[in-house]
Amino acid sequence: MGPATLWLRWSWRDLRARWLVVLAIAIVIALGTGTYAAFTGSATWRRVSNDKSFAALNTHDVRLRLSAGTTAPHGALLDVLSGIPSIDKVTAAEERLVQPIQVEVLGAGEDLLVTGEVLGTGRPASGQPIDDVYVSAGHPLTAADTGQPVVVLERNFADYHGLPASGRLRVSGDQAVRYAGHGQWPDNLIVTGEGGTGFFSHSTYAALYTSLATAQRISRSPGRVNDLVLTLRDSDDARSVKRELQEALREGQTAVSASVTTRAGMPSYRLLYRDIENDQKVWNVVAGLILAGAAFAAFNLTGRIVEAQRREIGVGMALGVPRSVLAVRPLLLGGQIALIGVVFGVLMGAAVGAALSDTFKTLLPLPVWDTSFQMSAFARAAALGFLLPMVAVCWPVWRAVRVEPVEAIRVGHLAGRGRGGGPAPWLGRVSLARSSIRRMPLRNVLRTPRRTMLTALGIGAAVTALVAIFGMLDSFASAIDQEKREVAHDAPRRVSVQLLGLQPAGSPQVSRVTAATGVADASTGLSLPATVRAVDRSAGAAHVDVVLQTLSPDSVWTPTVSDGAAPRGRDEILLSRKAAADLGVAPGDHVVVSHPQRVGADQFRTVQSRMRVAGTHPDPVRVPAYADASVASRFGFAGLVNLVQTVPEAGVPPEDVQRAMLASPVVASAQSVTATTDALETALEQFTSILIVAAGVVLLLALLIAFNAASIAVDERARENATMLAYGLPVRSLLAMQTTESAFTGLLGTVLGLAAGFGVLSWMVGSLLAETAPDFGLSPVLSATTVATAFALGVLAVAVAPLFTVRRLRRMDVPSALRVIE
Amino acid sequence: MATGEPSLTVPTAGPLGTRIDLDDVCKSYRVGSTTVTALADVNIHVDETALLVILGPSGSGKTTLLNLVGALDTPTSGTVRIAGRDITGSSQRERQLVRRHTVSFIFQSFNLFPALTALENVQFGADIAGREHAADVAAHVLDQVGLGDRMRHFAHQLSGGEQQRVAIARALATGNPILLADEPTGELDFRTGVQILELLQAQADAGKTVLVVTHNREISRVADRVVELSSGRIVSDGLPRGGRAAIRDLHW
Repeated sequence: MGPATLWLRWSWRDLRARWLVVLAIAIVIALGTGTYAAFTGSATWRRVSNDKSFAALNTHDVRLRLSAGTTAPHGALLDVLSGIPSIDKVTAAEERLVQPIQVEVLGAGEDLLVTGEVLGTGRPASGQPIDDVYVSAGHPLTAADTGQPVVVLERNFADYHGLPASGRLRVSGDQAVRYAGHGQWPDNLIVTGEGGTGFFSHSTYAALYTSLATAQRISRSPGRVNDLVLTLRDSDDARSVKRELQEALREGQTAVSASVTTRAGMPSYRLLYRDIENDQKVWNVVAGLILAGAAFAAFNLTGRIVEAQRREIGVGMALGVPRSVLAVRPLLLGGQIALIGVVFGVLMGAAVGAALSDTFKTLLPLPVWDTSFQMSAFARAAALGFLLPMVAVCWPVWRAVRVEPVEAIRVGHLAGRGRGGGPAPWLGRVSLARSSIRRMPLRNVLRTPRRTMLTALGIGAAVTALVAIFGMLDSFASAIDQEKREVAHDAPRRVSVQLLGLQPAGSPQVSRVTAATGVADASTGLSLPATVRAVDRSAGAAHVDVVLQTLSPDSVWTPTVSDGAAPRGRDEILLSRKAAADLGVAPGDHVVVSHPQRVGADQFRTVQSRMRVAGTHPDPVRVPAYADASVASRFGFAGLVNLVQTVPEAGVPPEDVQRAMLASPVVASAQSVTATTDALETALEQFTSILIVAAGVVLLLALLIAFNAASIAVDERARENATMLAYGLPVRSLLAMQTTESAFTGLLGTVLGLAAGFGVLSWMVGSLLAETAPDFGLSPVLSATTVATAFALGVLAVAVAPLFTVRRLRRMDVPSALRVIE
Repeated sequence: MATGEPSLTVPTAGPLGTRIDLDDVCKSYRVGSTTVTALADVNIHVDETALLVILGPSGSGKTTLLNLVGALDTPTSGTVRIAGRDITGSSQRERQLVRRHTVSFIFQSFNLFPALTALENVQFGADIAGREHAADVAAHVLDQVGLGDRMRHFAHQLSGGEQQRVAIARALATGNPILLADEPTGELDFRTGVQILELLQAQADAGKTVLVVTHNREISRVADRVVELSSGRIVSDGLPRGGRAAIRDLHW
């Protein structure tokens, strides 16, 4: 038998002697490795699937979109395109019409009346249409459906409500429409709601895909378009074509107010890709924390094993064995633990990956999903899972082999120093309890500060992950509450009615809307898309997209002014606190507002106006901005309105008013002002089940780490425990002492975890979400429930870990343990 | 004893409190497929307080005997009575109560609790026995063993002899009538070992039964009675060879 075989066999025996604790640590390593492997692998799946899905739908490279509520004659947008120098780079272009709409699903079994949009597009004579539709259920549209009231219903909405593959709808203007199937198109691969600013909107936002002629018919906009999409020979030219289109809009003959974006500017595209990167960062942190917990646990165990071997190491030194050779045995043990953990981790990663694959396909249904095995992700995870515990074992090994042989051989060398050490002596004169037995748990915690801290850090790492994940939802919930309070104050039941295009304020159609059945009070105004930037561009974000609403003295609702004053006159604007902060402006500062300017009937230009920030409002969503009604004349919209705020009569549900609006020919959509926040709350509730799983994993982790520590303590204190039993102390009292001790450690770990968790949460909210959801003003918040859950898992669950050692305590050979020589 | 000082005697054991009876006791273990007999047909009766030494070489069965008397183990056959109570077939709970209220251990390696001070270690004995004013009892006993000035020290701050005196004080603080000492001088030098023996003899003189297990024949010279074991059997039982010696005459 060669020396290598001897070391291997010897370390393998060390491992088998502590197989239960080794198994616990291996599972912790496996959780970290598996989580990392599965989630890193899923990032590749998502990226590849996104690429394939957008490619399969022939997604546009550049898009020109008229300001909301404005349209242009069919052909006008193609005329703009034809004038750009790079027209030869364009392979295809299509004019479309996208209009807001109210949708009622008939025969759905539930009262389903929501806002949405209708997208009408012309199919080319040959080849694939730009931004094609993928039909997941039912039938695609045929040439015969052109101009007919037949549409494809957005898949996420249909799936969420469990709608049949085909069915009947009633849309704005009391029109009957049939949907032939469920489908997805690039705008709605992830549903972002009205204006692309919402989240989790799929439950309350019904998008319809149809022919251009049908969309024009449904939205009563015959011959009109407001959207142009085009594909390029080389998508790298998108930026230059975008610039040329912007130039053409400014200088061309066609008077339109429009924005030009590339594919990357599409909300669904941005979210789908940015989500991957940010999710990956979050999962890296979570997996890193779990691996850190595993490393602390491995450190604890190897520290104990090496201490137990110290006399053997001393004997080895006395026999002249080089220190480097003496280090081989404990290092091999560490390697074996890491290896078992990694093998488990790869298996766990594969299992988690399979579950994730199904989850992603359900949560993010894409036309194409590629979930092939990600070798590189698993290789990286395996390397990390192996290296971290190995690094953790190096310190106790190094510490053990640098002791002088005479010290190492001496009985109780390392143990002796730590036995009464730590801060325990400080409590020697403090009697926290009358009974000596009750004093022991805290003393034990303090006398081995290194081990206590390592265990607490391991538990803290698990709690950190829990707090960060729960805290994200708390922060969202808090922001939603804040938004709900703001939009619902004074008139919580009001219904916001979007009109089809611009309507004369005193027209009979508008009057019929304001005096509709069930409406107690109503006010009209304008809602215009705009972009705001600071005069001093270095102050903050380059620009913020807003929806500017006008306010009049008779408005049924006005925003809360949290700082400054309400806007007055033609030159003032009220921004959200979030928008002001992002722009780096405060009340009294000036901003430049880019907005549509009406230059004639159905003719608009985008112009820039300098306005003074009158104040800020507390809505965490930065999109809403407000100005006095007199701004309408400054922008060329005098006498025109496109928004009606209605307050239902007492006893009339808002849904009745929404339904009444369906019959109006000038109403595009009507929805309760709390519809968005209600949808967000519903979506957050869906995450509860995922959180229970997360809590379960953290519970398991904390329990394993605590069990590891408790198990080590049982080994290490075998003689103390035997002495107490010899004096007649019942096993249950011994367990109670260990449980109390574990609870102290758990408490320390939980406090550390809460602090670190809040730090990670602040980073995620301030860094990651600010990028993914720039319109949503989130602040890191931890709810009382999260804090209570952290304490419940970190303290209570950890406290019960010693109960798993009860069998060993009951079966302890007390006489033998009493004679153990440390 | 001054008025108001806590009493060191606990009348839990009754008139038979110091009595030890072993009748035809056998103890054997299974080691793999082999049966090892640790004790065979052992008969010992202690009916008056004394310093009793169980003498024998390693493997003679003396520690097994101590464990049976200490209610840590049960015999394979025979009867063990402690303080008049038959504990042969008693439950874990009953044996635990015997350990709590009748016998107290003193160990070769002291086995002090490192997290507790000397005073607290001794108080543990009083606490576990359910004595009132446990802290006062502990302070008094510690003073008696000559460590009144070391009460706040932790085990690692005490010498070996001091640690063993704390261990004896812990056993005394229980107030139990039977003291079981397993090689109590095994880790101590001669001078310190003598001090410990003096302490133990004083307890026997004060009315306790003190059972000392040792391989050191010299120690057996100060005993009131010596039971010598060899290969699990009693080879002699009676007064020390050559008569009882004074502790000051010992040499090892």
